[in-house]
Amino acid sequence: MRNFGMKRALLGAAIAALAMNASAAHAASASGTATAKILRQITLAKTSDLQYATIISGATASTVGVSTAGAVSCGANLTCTGTTTAANFNVQGTNGAVVLVGGDSSVTLNGSLGGTMSSTLTYSAPNITLSATGGSFQVGGTLSVGANQASGDYSGTFNVTANYQ
Amino acid sequence: MFRFLKALGLFTAVALGAAASPVLAAGDLLVAPTRVILDGSRGTEVVLNNIGSEPATYRISLEIKRMTAEGGLDEIAEENVTPAERAALDMIAFSPRRVTLPPNQPQVVRVGVRLPEGTPPGEYRAHMLFRSVPDTAPASAEPKPAGEGVSIALTPIYGITIPVIVRVGDLGADATIGEAWVSDTQDGPAFNFDLARSGNRSVYGDIEVTRPGVPEPLLVARGIAVYPEVSARKVSLRVPGELAAKLKGPVRIRYSEDREIGGGTIDEAARVVK
Repeated sequence: MRNFGMKRALLGAAIAALAMNASAAHAASASGTATAKILRQITLAKTSDLQYATIISGATASTVGVSTAGAVSCGANLTCTGTTTAANFNVQGTNGAVVLVGGDSSVTLNGSLGGTMSSTLTYSAPNITLSATGGSFQVGGTLSVGANQASGDYSGTFNVTANYQ
Repeated sequence: MFRFLKALGLFTAVALGAAASPVLAAGDLLVAPTRVILDGSRGTEVVLNNIGSEPATYRISLEIKRMTAEGGLDEIAEENVTPAERAALDMIAFSPRRVTLPPNQPQVVRVGVRLPEGTPPGEYRAHMLFRSVPDTAPASAEPKPAGEGVSIALTPIYGITIPVIVRVGDLGADATIGEAWVSDTQDGPAFNFDLARSGNRSVYGDIEVTRPGVPEPLLVARGIAVYPEVSARKVSLRVPGELAAKLKGPVRIRYSEDREIGGGTIDEAARVVK
């Protein structure tokens, strides 16, 4: 333990000397507390994307919704084909840990042949409590489709984070 | 020896994680530890691991987030930060800021503090964001001819944030558990209680809800913080329906410090859950 503590102090000194002002190294001290903490981890893995599939637009503006469970609600005057899914993220970490989840509330999509669309985004929960096998959260959304929306492939990116407190 | 064991433990955890969910996307990640506290001089390290099945590039950055009364964390744009938050961003040094990792390749991120002369005592905090950088815009192989509808590709850029807390000077804080109740939210039933904070730093710990006479706790929630920018927050935890029903009635709620620093009680209260 003492040996490890020494290493820790040396490491602290090395870091301080490397990137920061060297005088800070004098205050470096050993502590066993940090050693256990390094094993506490969090993983975030995406297992599905938010997919609206293919939409054929109508003469009036409308919306397509995908719930956080992945169910589609196809607005009036629209034809929706293909399989829709909500985005799903798996989180693993300490059993019982509370993880705050969230991200952008809307996203703009740009069409390959011009034109834009926007989508609101909804999250299945603002926080999740991890079990022994972890936890998951989903992202659904509502896409606004313009009247006679220009056809093409629309793409956009949105930010999602899992946050420890 | 110890470092070897540490690496082995991390590796095992990664291997287990990979085994549990076989469909891993490019950009999946592991971060350890989940919280960093610096005493103002000593550095530390954070491990980032690519747990996806493809090589991925990750960007590491610092953000300011403020706790809300509802217990969420609001992201604050850099131009809107307070001087103290600006100081936190400036005093936390880390490297590297961008790294490309093959699958199952860990990377150590060194984190240190650079305290300017005369930094006033207090708790300074930023949140370190580890985020996968997406591949260039998904190539649509053959654009759809006009009149064939629209197809949508939404790419999430996802990541993990952990708090990096710098404490300067002799700081103290206390917390008090308030009312507790069960409610129905749009996401399902939730167990809620108020948590008030006093002092000049954050409080952090685990919550345990027990029923008098029943040995097993009804609910355990670890890693609940109240940050200094709020004097009180609501803690709202989604619970299954049957647990929500069970939680109603007399309970003891205990808020204790992290097990790693002894697990001492911060506050304990008997409450009747409505």
